[in-house]
Parts: sequence; structure tokens; C-alpha cells
Amino acid sequence: MSNVLRPYLAAVRSTLTAALTLENFSSQVVERHNKPEVETGTSKEVLLNPLTISRNENERVLIESSVNSIRLSIKIKQADEIERILCHKFTRFMMQRAESFIVLRRKPVQGYDISFLITNTHTETMLKHKIVDFIIQFMEEVDKEISEMKLSLNARARIVAESYLTAFNA
Amino acid sequence: MAPQVFTLAQTPITSHVFSADRSQLAVSLNSNDAQIFSSNGQEWVPTETLAEHDKLITSIDWAPNSNRIVTCSQDRNAYVWQETPDPDTGKLVWKPTLVLLRINRAATHVKWSPLEDKFAVASGARAIAICSFDPENNWWVSKLLKKPIRSTVLSIDWHPNNVLLAAGSADMKARVFSAYIKEVDERPAATVWGSKLPFNTVCGEYTSPAGGWVHAVGFSPSGDVLAFASHDSSISIVYPGGPVVHNIRMQSLPFVTLTWTSEDVIVAAGHDCRPIVFSGSEAGWQEAGTLDDSTAPKSAETRPGVGGVGRLKTGAFATFRDADSRGQSSISGGGSQLTNTKLLTIHQNTITNIRPYEVRGNEVTKVSTSGVDGMLVIWDVNAVTGLSGRLGGAQLR
Amino acid sequence: MASAFRKIDIDAYDEDALQESELYEADARDPAQVLDEARQRQAAVRSSLAKSDVAGALSVILDNAPYGPNVDEAKVLTLQTLLTILNTTKATEITGVIKSLSQDSQDTLMKYLYKGMAMPGWGDISGSVLLGWHEKLTEVAGVGCIVRTMTDRRTV
Repeated sequence: MSNVLRPYLAAVRSTLTAALTLENFSSQVVERHNKPEVETGTSKEVLLNPLTISRNENERVLIESSVNSIRLSIKIKQADEIERILCHKFTRFMMQRAESFIVLRRKPVQGYDISFLITNTHTETMLKHKIVDFIIQFMEEVDKEISEMKLSLNARARIVAESYLTAFNA
Repeated sequence: MAPQVFTLAQTPITSHVFSADRSQLAVSLNSNDAQIFSSNGQEWVPTETLAEHDKLITSIDWAPNSNRIVTCSQDRNAYVWQETPDPDTGKLVWKPTLVLLRINRAATHVKWSPLEDKFAVASGARAIAICSFDPENNWWVSKLLKKPIRSTVLSIDWHPNNVLLAAGSADMKARVFSAYIKEVDERPAATVWGSKLPFNTVCGEYTSPAGGWVHAVGFSPSGDVLAFASHDSSISIVYPGGPVVHNIRMQSLPFVTLTWTSEDVIVAAGHDCRPIVFSGSEAGWQEAGTLDDSTAPKSAETRPGVGGVGRLKTGAFATFRDADSRGQSSISGGGSQLTNTKLLTIHQNTITNIRPYEVRGNEVTKVSTSGVDGMLVIWDVNAVTGLSGRLGGAQLR
Repeated sequence: MASAFRKIDIDAYDEDALQESELYEADARDPAQVLDEARQRQAAVRSSLAKSDVAGALSVILDNAPYGPNVDEAKVLTLQTLLTILNTTKATEITGVIKSLSQDSQDTLMKYLYKGMAMPGWGDISGSVLLGWHEKLTEVAGVGCIVRTMTDRRTV
């Protein structure tokens, strides 16, 4: 299973490494402001072509980069209704606590489940390659987390059903 | 000789510059203040703080002969600092003079002209301010180079004739301008870039084939050749006669700074965290190797920077890949955190600034680099010569 | 109703505003001519593939690839042709084929790989094939190649 995931994560890793070439860039539109250009989008020459890495329609990553910030959005695999609900709850839980995750965005980009916003300040205060590691690890863990949650949910449902039905067994 | 490494701070160094005798050092540590460091032989100790700006200082330059420092910042201002005796104590202190830049966006890069009677300030206001001293009013006045700049100017460099100025900007162009100021300059002799040069003449406009913001520009020591590094991980060397443009595409991440060490050698550095040496002539240019070799003796095998997914492939990536191909997804347990917190290079993050450090005759023999990791490193430029054959061979397909 | 003026992008009327078209040199060729060339290339690729000359087929399709606006049909045709090459190449041959390409072709190939990945499920795009090529190409041409895909406005 993980062997199939490997090329996908390797592609995300190399693209992210290429995108994380940020520098401090003061806004050329608003005086004395310094904003993530990928979010404001007011000067198109400092934006780069957005790149998508996909395994299939349901699993893809969008990396939008600019001179001082990048936005990375992940569409997490959701095979059925339960996974969809779990994924929604899980990402919502995280995004409500976005400030503790530092690079997490409060709202995902449309069409994706979760987005990260990495600015030049982050690459200055943290090691660049560790940020890449973090994102990759996150992508790896999130699939596992959701399938584990699904398993425990099913197990729990089974126990509930059993203990409910034992009442009629007697 | 092994590179000398100094860790000045845990914060990024946005800019660094040495005094003429290399005994003092001015840096900006990603803050509103500039720091002066003095060497005590072993290490650099902070001696003075230049505090006047109220936003991040983006660039510093120290005029070696007139001993003046100029700083510019994202607060749209530039200050010229001069060492003057304090009226009470008689001690020499740095006194600022505000420069009327007349720009309304951040200043990004500042550089003294070779004769030190002018300096240029690049800015986000799609303009370059050329400042000269007005003795009548006793202040620095500026004249703006505007057309045809379409975006933030990221870097500038003076031609040795004190008149021409190269500028690299975020609209993907490197340009050569005339910054001739009647009151200051004598009429310049004709150069390869042109003969009649009123203010704001555009003598050349160049772009890299794959585009990309021009992070760094530099004239060769003679001023006849221009090199620029752009965000498409390439470096271009322009001979204006033809014009002949040599474009070298790198396999690694983009460069953000470069300096010529002699008429046929360039040292460039950037997001790849190590200085790369290029050599060549009008006939052609090629990568000669890197200065940062000491940490990895097994050059060809363990330096994946020349080919793979960045250098990261060795440490965490390998751990991850091994664990992954063996089907263990539990590397988060410890492996990756422990094995690779350090890169193989000396600099642990982007190198933002490279400057000549020691000059012998017409050749720069040592360069200094500073970076986002707060380190200052002094490299021997000739340390690459032994290596060139080896790496050159590895580059061949 | 009278608030429509608030939505007008006044910056677009600034005569100094930088236009998308100024960021790269436009393709000098006529759209019809580009489409014509794309068709010819498709035929050339077929004959190369019949001789199982993958490297030759790739360099034909990647040389002078259409870019810029108004040539969408030619772009689609080129992508389709490229996909047939990518899908038929054996995994063991990929590295060798990539090494034989010029730097220009490698950069263009990277652009097409990302273009393909941006539209999963379209035509006969297979995620794993594209990812396999991407990995091999990154090994040969480095992350610099990906950086160039991001900076180059001559999108395919």
C-alpha cells in the first residue's frame, strides 16, 4: 500500500522544495504593508504558475506559489460517506485551532479539504527542509488517521449493536 | 583553506558589509536596527546599534574610502551614517542623515557608486533613486529612474565608470541604465554599453528564457559583461556587443546573490545554501564547482544536490523512503527527527548576500556570505580549483 | 443595483498596470499554423513509436511545443500525443529516454506532466504513470526543472 503512495509523496516533496524559495517582499501596491502575495493576488508578476500533483481525482495537492508565500492545499482520499464525514470533522477540528499549527490556513481553498499557508517568516524561523518533512508526514498520517477512525467507528457500532441486540436474546 | 564560519545570531541576516580594513562589520539581523560588530581576533562582538528606521532594514552598504554607511528599509527611507565625534565625550559615534528618496514603497537594495559620490536605492515603487550630495543645502537629493520599470526592483549594481547602473526587477527583466548626473559626473567615455548617455537611457534589457524574477545583477570588474541570476534557477551572462547571452540552467534551487571575483569567474549563491562557482569567457560559460565541499568527502555519491530531489534525499528522505518501502509508516516515532536536522552544507538556510572579502591585485581571493540561518562565512575562492575537474566530470551526461 | 461600480477593477485601467501578455514573448506563429504543426507531429510520433523509438518521438513532440493563448486545440492534441508516448514506455526505459533529451525538452516535459496531473481523469491520464515519469525526471533534471515550470509563463 505504502509503495503506491511513495511516488505521490516524492512528487509533493520535490515540488514543495522547489516552491519554498521565498524571500521578504514588501507590498508594491499598499504602502508599508507586507502581505502574503499568494493571498492578496494584487500583483500578478510575483505569482508563479500553480502546480497540481494528483494520484487520481480524489487525491491531489495544489501548490500555489508567490515571491513571499506559498499555499498548499490537499484533497484527502474519501472513499465513502463515513470517510467524508470523518474527514470533514477532522480537518474542521484542526483548522479551528489553526494558530497552534502555525502554517495551517483557517479555511481550505475551494475544492480541497485542508490548506496550508507558508510565508517567508516561517521559512526564516524554521528550517525549510523540516517544514517539507512536516507536510509530508501530515499527508502520510492523515490517511492513516482517517482509516483508523473509520475502523474504530465500525468497531464501536458493532459493540453497540451487539449489546443492544443481547437484550432480545434472553 | 577551510571556510571561516561565524554564527552572529539565531535570526536571519538580511544584509552584511565589512568596513574597508575588515575589522568591523555592519549587519541587519532581520530587524529595524543595524548592528556594527567588531572583531576581537576570534569572534565578532556587537559594538554599536544604528537605530533610526521603523521597519525592516533591507540592505546596507559601507563606502570603503569615505567610511560612510548607507542603510535602506521597508519604511521607504534611507539614511547615510557618518562617524562623528560626540560633542560631550569626544568619542566617535555614527550619526544619521535622512535622504530624501521620494519613493512611496519599500526600498529594497542600496549600493554606493565606485567613486562614492552617489548611491542608488532600488525600490518597490517601480523606481530607482539615484542620490547625490547637494553641498549647498547640505543634504542628499535624489533623482528617479522610472521608465520602463514595471515592478519592484530587487537588485542593483554599479558599472565601474560610476555612471551606468544595472538593475534586476520582479518583472523578469535585467536592465542597464544610465545614472548620469550632470552636477556630479564628468562626461563618461564610451563603453560597450553605449556612448551618449543622458540620465535614464536604457542601454540594454535582458530576460532569461524561462522568465523568473531577477534576484541579482553584477557587472564584471571591467564593466563590459553583465551577469544576472533569475528565479528560474539559471544564471545569464550578457556580452552586449553581439549581444551574446549565455544562459546556464541549474538543477538545484534558484540563486539570489552573485559576485564576480575576476573577469572570468562568478560566485553565486542562494536557496541551495552553498556558493557555486562559474567560469568562462565570451565563448561559453560553465559551472566550475562549489566552494562548500569540506563537509562531504564522498562528493559524487552523497551530494544529491546535483541531481536528486534536493539534498534532502540523503537524510530524512532516505529514512522515510526506507521505512516506507519496508511498509513501516511509523517513522514519525523518531527516525526522521533524529537523523537529519542538519543539512550537509555549511549554511543551513538560504544564502542572501555574497560580497568580495579580500582582493589581491585584480582578483578577489575571498568572499563572504551571510544567510537566513544567521551565519557569516568567509570562503577562499580558490578552494574550488582542485574540485572543478571532479564535479565537472559528474556534470557530464 | 447602483453598486455595480464597486466591483470594477480600477487597477486594470491603470496604464502602468503590467499585463499578463507582457510577461513573456508571444508565440510568433499563427494559431492555424500551430495546429497544423501539431497534427504533423502527431503523425511523426506515430511513425517513431512504430519503430519503438521513444526518445525520438518525445523530442519531436516536445520541440517547439505550442504555448500562449488561442492555441488550445493544438495544446490538447499535443497533450494527447504525449500521453500515448508516456503510457506506452516501459518503466525501465524511462530514465534512459529522459537523459537523452535536451534541457529544453526536459523543461517542457515537466510542464506537460504537471498539466496532465492538473486534470486527473481526463482522456487516458493515469496518475501513477505521470508520477513515475515525474520522479525519474526530477532525478535527472533536478528541482531546478520544477522551479522553471513555475516561473515560465509560456504555459503549455
